[in-house]
Amino acid sequence: MAGQSSAVASHTGNNPFLRIVAALSTVAGWFSAAMIVSAVAITCQMIFIRFVLNGSTIWQTEAVIYLAIASTLIGLPYVQRLRGHVNVDLIPISLGPKARYVMALFTLSLSIIMVAIMLWYGYDFWHLAWERNWKSDTVWGVRLWIPYSALPIGFALFLLQLIADLTAVILKIDKPFGLEDA
Amino acid sequence: MDPLTLGMVVAICTILVLFSGVSVALGLLIVSTGFLMIFDGMRSLELLPEILFGKLDNFALLSIPMFIIMGSSIASTRAGADLYEALERWLTRVPGGLVISNLGACALFAAMSGSSPATCAAIGKMGIPEMRKRGYPDGVAAGSIAAGGTLGILIPPSVTMIVYGIATETSIGRLFLAGVIPGLLLVSLFMAWSLYSTWKSGNRELLATGSYTWKEKFEILPRVLPFLFIIVGVLYAMYGGVATPSETAAVGALLCLIIAMVIYKLWNPKDLWVVLRDSTKESVMILFIIAAAGVFSYMLSSLYITQSIANWIGTLDVNPWVLMGAVNVFLLIAGFFLPPVAVILMAAPILLPIITTAGFDPIWFAVVLTINMEIGLISPPVGLNLYVINGIAPDISLKTILTGSLPFVGCMVLAIFLLCVFPGLATWLPDAVMGKAL
Repeated sequence: MAGQSSAVASHTGNNPFLRIVAALSTVAGWFSAAMIVSAVAITCQMIFIRFVLNGSTIWQTEAVIYLAIASTLIGLPYVQRLRGHVNVDLIPISLGPKARYVMALFTLSLSIIMVAIMLWYGYDFWHLAWERNWKSDTVWGVRLWIPYSALPIGFALFLLQLIADLTAVILKIDKPFGLEDA
Repeated sequence: MDPLTLGMVVAICTILVLFSGVSVALGLLIVSTGFLMIFDGMRSLELLPEILFGKLDNFALLSIPMFIIMGSSIASTRAGADLYEALERWLTRVPGGLVISNLGACALFAAMSGSSPATCAAIGKMGIPEMRKRGYPDGVAAGSIAAGGTLGILIPPSVTMIVYGIATETSIGRLFLAGVIPGLLLVSLFMAWSLYSTWKSGNRELLATGSYTWKEKFEILPRVLPFLFIIVGVLYAMYGGVATPSETAAVGALLCLIIAMVIYKLWNPKDLWVVLRDSTKESVMILFIIAAAGVFSYMLSSLYITQSIANWIGTLDVNPWVLMGAVNVFLLIAGFFLPPVAVILMAAPILLPIITTAGFDPIWFAVVLTINMEIGLISPPVGLNLYVINGIAPDISLKTILTGSLPFVGCMVLAIFLLCVFPGLATWLPDAVMGKAL
């Protein structure tokens, strides 16, 4: 079946590295949730100002969009830890233990390479915005390196969580794909 | 390599990568990065973060986390059970009131949450045990809830409709309205089938009417009315020209959280965290797929694949309905394996030009596509709802749930057929409320 597995977090055992990464991802998850909640609050405040007080709003729409983006990117490691990124695990389920293990190593390595690429170019993009002091072309004119910083931060933490997941599978602390043995 | 052949290679690689078990979003990024690197050179990768960020830089997308919070705060309470009980007490004189109440509760719950598994779980937790206790066949009990739950993505607000609206730049307000009548049509078909199969199974006494005192009927209302109030409020805000879907969703999310805290006493920070955690998990997952699919469709158009496929279909001299049939089969198969959001994001940019060139209405197509996705939700091998039901009622075998759900798949196919014959079922309401589309 595909779809979200039932919120079973990946196992960390007593391994200090895995536990530190798990803690980092959880903190990232708190930040991500807090940012979504602030987005809800700011949107409601904006509606209040616009429709009840008949005032105009300047920064709210932009701030809310950046909060949602940051919440998504910074939430990535936490969702990975909860195994919340949907996948099609039809083939992994039907494989024997040995093949499933190899498949897990393969998919995790592929994911790590991908996220490393995103981190590399994401950092570049952020750095450019910071160096050249890019600003958004709105009245608010926010300095873009602030929202863009979610790219390197989110992908760096995501990369750590993926490396931790790979380590856990290799050390047999966690099952490949989090699947119980058939 | 000509773009069409390249398109085939991309399709095959995407299937292989996604079936390896890698997450859908990362899979799309991996395929896109691979092809961009080979055909556009390493420098094209510099654009990846900008495209990813740009895809998410959209106020309309905000409605997704908001509607998810709205749905999961309601789902975390007893609201589903209350809704179902209220309907049962009031519909007690209707033959087969119990199964009708369950399906009605599914439809109403769907109007508060945009998610199918959530609807399934919220109503099924109470509904399935109750139906079985009263002697309804297991297949009807499980199948009706599995099918009723799929209404979550058709009846507004619907997360998949928002995603479709964003992917195809169609009005989300119109899409929501388009889902209403087909949603009611499906509920009626589901109800008709449930009554018929209960009657045919020989349990006719189940269809007999029971009775509740007026006191019992009225004492449950205060617990249900706030939600009906929210549904009406959300619809008014959106169609009265008061606010955009995202703004409406934010107010809806806040109100639902407040109701959950005040009426259902969701005060404990731990319980509140569960609601927020689940919402964050789902919205991050969906928004990341949206961002990754943005990169995927950038890759497709950068390599001229999208344009070539649309041109190629344009030169084919096929009957539009044959084309629509083929599109439906494709969507059905994709829906068997992939979550609806992923199918919509990958298929919409390619299918939409084909559909509009062939003279079909994109709003109407959204409804057909959504019903296709609903079928996928109750069909193997993915069938998310089947597993949700399996989680609620572990003693009903997957096979019984599956065979119980099959007739409801029939109802959905019938609904698609009816929509093809009478497209007005989907397009009339949006046109009537918001004026004819330009």
